[in-house]
Amino acid sequence: MKKWLLTGLMALGVAAPAADALAQAAPRNTLVVLREIDADNYDPPRSTARGAGEVIYMMSDTLVSLDWDQRTVRPGLAESWTVSEDGKTYTFKLRRDVTFCDGKPFTARDVAYTIKRWVDPATRSPIRWRAGPVDDVIAVDDYTVEYKLKEPYGELLYQLTLFFASIVDQQTVEKLGANFGVQGFNGTGPYCWGSWSPRQDFVLTRHPNYRWGPPLYSNPSPQVERVIWRIIPEANTRLAALQSGQGDVTQYIPQFAIAGLRNVPTVKLTRQENYFWDFFMGFKVDKPVVSDPAIRRAVNLGVNRNAVVQATFFGAADPADAYLNPRTIGYDAEAAKMVPSFNADEARRVLDEAGWAPGPDGIRVKNGERASFLLYGLQTSEWRRMSEAMQADLRRIGIDMRVQLWDATVGWGKLATQEFDAFMMSYPYISATDGFSLYFDSTNRPTPNRMNWNDPETDRLLRIAKTGLAEGDRMRAIGEAQRRITAANVWLPIAREQLWIAASQRTEGVRPHGIYGVGLYKGLDIRLTR
Amino acid sequence: MSATVENPVLPAAAEAAPPKRPNTLARLLREPAAAFALVLVVLVIGAALLAPVLSPTDPFDNDLSLAMQPPGSPGLWLGADSQGRNMVTRVLYGLRITLLMGLASVALGGGIGALIGFAAAFYRRIDGLLMRLMDIMLSFPAILFGLALAAIFGPGIQAVVLALSVATIPLMARIVRGSALAVMGLDYIEAARATGMSDTRIILRHVAPNCLSSIFVFATLRFGQVILLGSALSFLGLGAQPPTAELGAMASDGRNFLFFAPHIAVIPCIAIFAVVLAFNVLGDALRDALDPRLRT
Repeated sequence: MKKWLLTGLMALGVAAPAADALAQAAPRNTLVVLREIDADNYDPPRSTARGAGEVIYMMSDTLVSLDWDQRTVRPGLAESWTVSEDGKTYTFKLRRDVTFCDGKPFTARDVAYTIKRWVDPATRSPIRWRAGPVDDVIAVDDYTVEYKLKEPYGELLYQLTLFFASIVDQQTVEKLGANFGVQGFNGTGPYCWGSWSPRQDFVLTRHPNYRWGPPLYSNPSPQVERVIWRIIPEANTRLAALQSGQGDVTQYIPQFAIAGLRNVPTVKLTRQENYFWDFFMGFKVDKPVVSDPAIRRAVNLGVNRNAVVQATFFGAADPADAYLNPRTIGYDAEAAKMVPSFNADEARRVLDEAGWAPGPDGIRVKNGERASFLLYGLQTSEWRRMSEAMQADLRRIGIDMRVQLWDATVGWGKLATQEFDAFMMSYPYISATDGFSLYFDSTNRPTPNRMNWNDPETDRLLRIAKTGLAEGDRMRAIGEAQRRITAANVWLPIAREQLWIAASQRTEGVRPHGIYGVGLYKGLDIRLTR
Repeated sequence: MSATVENPVLPAAAEAAPPKRPNTLARLLREPAAAFALVLVVLVIGAALLAPVLSPTDPFDNDLSLAMQPPGSPGLWLGADSQGRNMVTRVLYGLRITLLMGLASVALGGGIGALIGFAAAFYRRIDGLLMRLMDIMLSFPAILFGLALAAIFGPGIQAVVLALSVATIPLMARIVRGSALAVMGLDYIEAARATGMSDTRIILRHVAPNCLSSIFVFATLRFGQVILLGSALSFLGLGAQPPTAELGAMASDGRNFLFFAPHIAVIPCIAIFAVVLAFNVLGDALRDALDPRLRT
């Protein structure tokens, strides 16, 4: 009944403003992509926002690309590559038919400049580490690049698929200075910078010469003349805009609407199964109360992930029963088995054995200290619902979780402090080594290693996982790191987000990709039928 | 024979008694809308005070399997929220926090504002300075101020109360200053001064009591506004933090489910509407009832 009611309401949402929609429908041969939030800039190494990646992937190219399986590295601007025996030199052979949006030919010098600029401390790139321990990048000739490392870095090719490594034009960067990616851009991507009205629209125009799209697409060239990335922050308004024809595509679908949208005939829904964007709660392991392994284990046992995830995402996410998605490279099944499953009685037993006895108000106490900890998170409806549901579960086992949610404008700063005992976060990753190096390397304290996890053995294992020459050694090391961290219950894995894309009837060829959370990637196969 | 003629006894009713003036409450109740508002205010305050007794469940106890159950479901008169908590309980506890937030803001902001208003009216040397300060405070919208406070101290009821109190100070100060100035011009204040009465005594004994009706009317009207503003701040996520029930936060939680479970947003909105309307009508009626020019 509820489903039919929802379908009816959604259909009504389409039918009622039909006349209006016709007047406001997206322009011919222009793809209107609806999204929730803008980015502060569109300079590849200076932004980690998904919103920046969405546009940068269309305006620029990377040396290598990532296939739909999120595991296979495919050619990009580089036709082929070889790795030296010591694993320290990657030689890329570049395509010869590539030009920038301004018509200038693309050469090896552009690659060398881009990578050197990325790792240059003056650029202040927050993700400089992703480029690996760069020794030098040399343009051997116009179409050959040597990427030299100080030590082997097995993750390099995956990292080079990310938009941070997008090739930029030196002349334009130097001309625009700090305004590169703010007032203009010059890339080799399928679309070129048109105009940007922050928090409103980003207009891209077709790159007329582009025919060097990565081989994962059927078409090497873009199929539409213009792409408009339009910001509509409110979820219901965004949904209504899609249904009324004012937008063509969105990946920002409120979870509660996904089930209902399946029954709306004017909307096409597609899902990417290989999508790695997880939600978790992390504990600061050196803070009172949560420094006790029994508390962390009890929290893992006491939270009913299935119920929490269902209540928060309405079936549009999967409960996370491990620290990583099983489809990820480097996933360790043994570590996954060590994550406690929901068992409230067992949680109570663990706390009892550890000396946490129920206090007069039901909250447990040990040596005069209450089993109470402060959780920080960002102020979103998902986090609010999730934290409330977990809070209720934990109260039942005698743990008081105090929740403080912050607006994103100050939240990231707050999450870099030591004021809290636990935090909630969601993040994209491309491999086990990528995710674990980000969060558990001791050199990444206090952020993103907000857990203050400082374990020399973990550091050693992560180092092998990154620098080991043999793939077997790397996999064994990252597996061991996962088991070590899982045994300590440093996190409470919560959910695995699903990537869905909703598209209007006039679109064809829309397929969600999901690299770094970006749904459309290059969007080369997308075309409009009217 | 003698005939005695008894003195005729006049009936008591026939004696010329001065007409009795109806008291404020009677004048208030003469107006049906005001009477209704008063009853509603009493009911709302009563419900909030008795929330622990009236609530069918614990306000924080959830059952996710009941999430978003519609009103009228077994054991759930008003349905359940997105966490499967009983909406009756949440609304009762939400009323508590909302009213408390309003009361604290009006009491704190109104108290400080009244002191400033009296000081400005009585000590004319600092009047200009104080009023310019109030003008500056008036130029800050309460919502913006609340956002700034939440950014500094973190979201929470304290931040909302502080923001609303600060927003109330200049308004109350201006009202009190105006009333006090009017009273200060009267002869009996001159007489009090002539007898050598101290400033504090004049303010406490003569000025303040004569300004009370204005203060009371403004406070009642402001209470409704403060609740609306407080709910707006909570709706934006700056107020009550999980799992505290607060009407604005409850409405915010429900807005995502308007298609599926409209009751989660609509019920707290109706509660906010009723409370604000009741206080506004009551404040309006109080103003009429306390206005000597409208007395009959």
